[in-house]
Amino acid sequence: MKRTFLIIAIAFSLAAKAQATKVYLKASGLTCSMCSNSINKALKTLDFVEAINADIKTYTFEISFKPNSYVDFDKIKKKVEDAGFSVVEFTAFIHFNNVQVTNNKPLTVGDKTFLFVRIKEQMLNGIKEVKILNKGFVSPKEYKLNAFPIALPGTYNAST
Amino acid sequence: MTIKYTKIKLAVLMTFALLSTSCLAQELFSMTEPASNRAAKSIGLRIDNFIMDEINTAKINYHLIPEIMIGISKKWMINGSVFFSNRSEALKYEGGSIYTKYRFFSNDAVQRHFRMAGFGRISFNNSDIHQEEINMNGHNTGTELGIVATKLIQKVAVSSTVSFLKAADNGNNNKFIYGLKDSKAVNYTFSVGKLILPKEYKVYKQTNINCMLEFLNQVNIGSGKYYVDIAPTIQMIFNSQSRVDVGYIRELRSTMIRTAPNGFFIRLEHNFFNAF
Repeated sequence: MKRTFLIIAIAFSLAAKAQATKVYLKASGLTCSMCSNSINKALKTLDFVEAINADIKTYTFEISFKPNSYVDFDKIKKKVEDAGFSVVEFTAFIHFNNVQVTNNKPLTVGDKTFLFVRIKEQMLNGIKEVKILNKGFVSPKEYKLNAFPIALPGTYNAST
Repeated sequence: MTIKYTKIKLAVLMTFALLSTSCLAQELFSMTEPASNRAAKSIGLRIDNFIMDEINTAKINYHLIPEIMIGISKKWMINGSVFFSNRSEALKYEGGSIYTKYRFFSNDAVQRHFRMAGFGRISFNNSDIHQEEINMNGHNTGTELGIVATKLIQKVAVSSTVSFLKAADNGNNNKFIYGLKDSKAVNYTFSVGKLILPKEYKVYKQTNINCMLEFLNQVNIGSGKYYVDIAPTIQMIFNSQSRVDVGYIRELRSTMIRTAPNGFFIRLEHNFFNAF
């Protein structure tokens, strides 16, 4: 009984650790605090969000998530856009448990699929910062410069 | 002639003063709407007060305009307002208006953007027609269709609108007395805004103080008559949610009959985010 419990516990912890714990987001198109507040209040309505730490001066939002919840990156981006602004930087803090990453090879980590680009083949362990490069997650200028092929739905072009 | 040019010189100097001071700028203009849209699913409530000095009399023309603003989507908003004024001695209901704006272009970058929107207004008013100026916000029945462009660049926010107005007869048998030819006009505006306080953003609770300068102009297509007004405003934003604007509207030059072109403007506004 004790052994079965332990296996289940490990399995759960693996699944939990394979998701994003935090997202660091920078918004563009705004300078005023009421604009920042509309983004702040919009992000708070997402059911998987635990807390938001907003920095009005730098237009950044540190979003922490409820444990074991499904974190939807596209919903976060849409909330910023519905408030009237754009995402210019989106970095997810993801826990990797000895995962081999290869350039241009899709990798499913927990509930998300990533396509790492322009990276060296490496083993990822611990919490890593994963910068999302899909359209709408970077500035239009940066997206154009990267010229990556359009990501499949549910797949995120990323770098670390 | 000398007094008119002095007024224009002062207006130009004020604009340069506003543009040259290094501060972040704001585009929540008082007398015009910027090209930006309100947040989707947000509702704003406004009470606008115009306290205008009637020319050649001691009378004050007071217009009270409550308004509701609804953000339908990130690109589209719709407003509804009701007109009251004291033209018939007591404060009386005179009509209302529906205004809508659609943002069709947006280019965002850090601390800057360029946006364009189209807007339209349909107004109904049952008061008497007493001036050549066509005003869809509390005076005339008719329609207005226009375009607005707003640029926000770190230190400066500038906005410009161009719109076409068509006045019809007012209600209560109050005809548009200047004839069909003179019932069409073009409005063109230029606005600039800047943030004065806080010097550095720390928390949402900080009170923001903005100041704006707007030029509000009209030319009648039929008669060729025109007016040029200047409207400076001080704006306070509380808790990043409520807003109070205090402005002064002053005619700089006019060749048309206008009843009360100069006066004060006070706006009270509160915004509800994620309201539906």
